Parts: sequence; C-alpha cells; structure tokens
Amino acid sequence: MVRNPYIDAVLTALLAIIFIIGSSVGIGMLARFIAKLAGATRRKQENTFAGYLFASPWIVGFLIFVIIPMAFSLYWSFTDYRVVSNEPAQWVGFDNYNQLIMKDEGFHASIVNTLFLTAIGLPLQMAVALFLAVLLNRKMRGERIFRMAFYLPVVLGFNTAVLLAWRLMLNTGTGIINQLIRALTKAFPPYGYLNRALIFFQEVISALFLGISNGNFNLLNQVIKAGFPAENRVPLWVQSPLWSKMSVVLLMIWGCGTMMLIFLAGLKNIPKELSEAAEVDGASNWKRFWRISFPLLTPYIFYNLVVGLISSLQIFEPIYVLYRDNQPLVSSVISMVYYLWQASFRHFEIGYGSAISWLILLIILIVTVIQFKMQNRWVNYDLY
Amino acid sequence: MRIFWRIFKRILLYFLLTGATLVMSFPLFWMISSSLKTLEETNSAGIVWLPKIPTLVAYFNIFKNTDFLRSYFNSVFYSSLALAGTLFSIAVVAYAFSRIEWPGKKVVFFLMLSTMMIPAQALIVPQYVFFNKLGWIGSFNPIIIPGYFAGGAAMVFLLRQSMAQIPKELDEAAVVDGASHLQIFWEVVLPLCKAPLATVATFLFVGLWNSLLAPLMYLQTVNLYTLPVYVSTLYNINLTVQQWPTIMAAAVLTTVPLIVVFFIAQRFILDGVVVSGLKG
Repeated sequence: MVRNPYIDAVLTALLAIIFIIGSSVGIGMLARFIAKLAGATRRKQENTFAGYLFASPWIVGFLIFVIIPMAFSLYWSFTDYRVVSNEPAQWVGFDNYNQLIMKDEGFHASIVNTLFLTAIGLPLQMAVALFLAVLLNRKMRGERIFRMAFYLPVVLGFNTAVLLAWRLMLNTGTGIINQLIRALTKAFPPYGYLNRALIFFQEVISALFLGISNGNFNLLNQVIKAGFPAENRVPLWVQSPLWSKMSVVLLMIWGCGTMMLIFLAGLKNIPKELSEAAEVDGASNWKRFWRISFPLLTPYIFYNLVVGLISSLQIFEPIYVLYRDNQPLVSSVISMVYYLWQASFRHFEIGYGSAISWLILLIILIVTVIQFKMQNRWVNYDLY
Repeated sequence: MRIFWRIFKRILLYFLLTGATLVMSFPLFWMISSSLKTLEETNSAGIVWLPKIPTLVAYFNIFKNTDFLRSYFNSVFYSSLALAGTLFSIAVVAYAFSRIEWPGKKVVFFLMLSTMMIPAQALIVPQYVFFNKLGWIGSFNPIIIPGYFAGGAAMVFLLRQSMAQIPKELDEAAVVDGASHLQIFWEVVLPLCKAPLATVATFLFVGLWNSLLAPLMYLQTVNLYTLPVYVSTLYNINLTVQQWPTIMAAAVLTTVPLIVVFFIAQRFILDGVVVSGLKG
C-alpha cells in the first residue's frame, strides 16, 4: 500500500497532539503529587499542576529534541558510525576530533572561510546598518516606507529564490552589477580608479585568507605581483575563488535590516536633551554623534555583535545555493555548517559529523563567552 | 544662509534614503523584470532594464511544470500545518511562563532562554538519526512535528513578554468566578494577545517558508520537495545555459506570499523585531 504523504502528515500531527496532551497531563499530575508530598497548600498544588501542564510541551520537546540528541551526538562523536552501513557505532576515542583539529584540511578551510565572513562581513554589515539607522533617526515623511524597504531583504532572507536572483545579478559577464560598474567607469572615469583600487584591496585580503586556509601563499604573491588591476577589470563575483566569499558578504550586507531596526531603537532611546545641550555648546553633528550617541549605543552594538556572530558562524544557505557542486570553487567558500552537512548527509559519516557539530558549538560558545567577558571594557550601560 | 544649508541637508538626506531604498529593493525589481524577459535578454551584453516586449512565456513554462506546482502545494501544506501547531503550543507555554506561579518556573525559563544559544545545526545530525529510527525520513513529519513542542524559544519569549503585560486583576476576577486556567487562557488571555500572536505567526511563517536545510535533509524525493528545495534544483551548475527567465518566474512566485504577508503584517514585524531582540 502506498501511503499518502499528506494524510500521513496530518495523522502524525494528530498523534503528536495526543502525545503532547497525554505527557503534559502526566507531568502536571506528577508535579502536583510531589507538591502534595512537600505539604503545599491546595491552591499551590493547583498552580503547580497548571504550570507544569502548560509548560510541558516545551519541557517534553526539550528532552526529545535537544537533550537526548545532544547526549547521543556527544557519544557518537567518539565513534566511527555510518548510517548506511547498518553497523553499530565503534568507539574510536578522540580520533574524530584529532583528525578534525590536526589533519582535516577541508575543515580548516571551512573555519578560515567562516572567519572571513565574520571578520570582513559582519563589520561591514553593522556599519551599513548603523548608517541607515542614523539616516532614519529624524523626523521626516515616509520613515515607515524606508524602514520597510530596508527590512524587506530580511524577510526574503536567504530564500533560495532570492539567492538565485542574486546569482543572476552576480554573473561576471552579463550580470547587472558588473554591467553597472562598467557603465559607471565609462561615464565617470575617476570611478574606474576607485573600482580598481577596491578590486585590488579585496583580492589581496581574499588571497591572504586563501593562503591561510591552504598554507600556500602563491596566489597572494601573484595578486601583488600583478599590481594595480587593468583598466577593464571587473569583480569576478561567483567565478573566482578570490571573490566567492565576497559575494556572500554582499548578501550579508543586503540583509542588515534586523540590525538596523535594533540600532534605530537604540538611537530613539537616547534622550534628546543630551544632544541639544551639546548643540548649544557648539559641538558639530559629527562630534555629537561620536561623543554622545555612539557611546550610548554600545549596548546595542554589543547585542548586534553577539547575535550577528552567532548567525554568521552558522551560515549555510547562500553557499548551498550559489556554490553547491561548483567543484573547484566550493572549497574556497565552504562554511563550517556546509562542511557539517556535507560530512553527515553526503557522506553519511554520523560519527564524524557529530564531532564537527560539537566543535562548531564549542567555537560559538567560546566566542560568545569572550564577548561577554570583554563587554565591560567598551560597552557603556550609563543609560540603563 | 543657514536656511539654505538646512534645505540642502534635507535634500541630501532624502537623496541618500531613496538611493538606499533603490539598492535594497533592486534584487526584487531585477527578479520581476528578468522573469518577463526572453532568454537572450537575460544573457545580453548590454543593460536591459526592462524587457522590450514583456513576455509571459517563462510563467507559462513554470505553470506547465508539475514538479513546481506540487512543491508549491507542499510548501503551503507543510507551512500551514506546522504553523497552526507551533503557534498554539507557543501560546500555551508562554501562558505558563507569564500567568501562573509554579515552583521551578525560573529554572525552566532560564533553560529555555539558554537553548537560544544552541545553533540548530549542532542538533541536526542526532535528530536525523532519531527520525531515521522512527521511519520518518522521506515524509513531512520531521519538518512539522518538532514545532508542535513549542519550537522556537525566541518566539515563546516574545509572546511571554506581551502576556505578562496584561493586568493580573483580570485573571483574579476570573478565578473568583470559578474559571480554570484553561478557561482564562482561552477566554481572557488569548483574545487580548491578538497583535503579538500575529507577530509570532508572521515570524514563524517566514521561517517555515524560507527553510532550506531541514527540508533538504528529510524530504529526499522530488514529490515531497518544498519550494526552496525544488527551486534550488532549477539552477544547475552543469548546464551551460541557465533558463534564467523561467528560474526568475519561479522565484517571483515563491516570494509573492512573503511579500504579501510582509505588507499586511509589517506593523507587527517591525515592532516585534525590537521586542524580541532587546529584552532577550
């Protein structure tokens, strides 16, 4: 009998609901029983029952989908376990971690690539978000429309469809972005120099990162030896290993809307009196921003930095859509999560994949803890 | 002189903002424009802003593609089924964290907030094995059911913040009248939370509609593919000529629900981002 996937899904959903209700009532009654043993009042017993009854969907889900999987994956990360071979997991100790940290060049490259997105992409993304927020932070007509326009890219986000539109725009020869660059250079020659300087700068940085990731700095030498780019040079967006990561950075900048809204909320929170007092004292706009607004904005910068780092360390979709199967190129842009996906679901090495996911988790944790430790050096909580 | 400077600054501001708006919405414009072009026009060496004669050929092509239509239906089906269960369970859990006093509430709440730190990807491998054991690979279950367990700590948090603002006197009055928590939840709290519920629903819908990694892992066969998974197969690196107009027509149709939802719910979204962000 061929099962209908739609009916199957609806029936499973109903079963899940029955399971959730059953387990919630069970946990609630257990909690009430314990409260009764502890000698709580009748009212308190009822509240204990209700509290656990209502919170149980999350508690049960947390156990099934977070705690138990994490425990298993911790165990598997020390084993050689392949789903397809149907053999039980074999304990190999720290072999997976050893291989990943000491030998696996693909994984090292994925870390360096992710580092590029974090070190180059995130500051650019935050700078653009802050710039747009400052522009929007005044009384004016149409503020709502501008805010919507800046946030729309986040909603469209990393949807495959939109990523493919970017793929079309980034074509080296016929893509609109390069055509605009060519047209601008023709119409306004000084722009050509700026463009070539940017190209040179970008290629040096990318070549440096590529050198770090494969230990071979020939490409960097070549880029420097070639010197200032020729007049007709355009960025090679999705074609060259020197540009593949920059294309993803472009996408990150485009999706800066969430950060912009956070910055805007921060700016609106700054008391007007502060700025007005400084204006009376004759401080220029520029000075007022850096001396008053910026320090008071640091908590928001900190928030965006923490969240932005976590999300840039987890980037997957753009790399999958733009570079999947693009053989020579994919290694220049592969991210940690893409590498995890490749090991686990293309090669079905569950043990190895588990070790990768624990390393990613560890990296994110360390980075976040460092940020929280560093925050009192530069984050200013005077307003709060 | 000063007044001229002021006017100049205003003009500059609007100029910059309009420019940024154009840049930000350009991919959308380009997507629509390219979907109406011929293949020659999308691959032309000169700039073709708008097609000379807009053609709907790409749309006819994509509507003839049953795989695309099925993936569209799959996306609608799975998003609505997942959305309904997830939204309801999130509301239930948010109620527990905002309107009931129970021992252990603080600990559980803290646990829930700390799960926001765990990247979803750290869990995909063991979850995959788990769903494999359940025989759920190649079905919609793995991308629908986890949400039913109040998936999404950030959304629970957002809703909890709004529920906590409803005056406590309302429940107390209801308790005096002999109402149970179930009744208070359904008859008092939920009707007062329509706006935050709409916010959460919008965020959930956008997340479900855009989701790529999980559907990619679990759906496996083309008859189950959701839109993002199917549309990504339209672009094939091994082809020398990409059918850009058709791909862009598919892209336009994929993004239409997102844009419609965004314009209807923009008030909720723009405020919700800040609430869920800043107090977390």
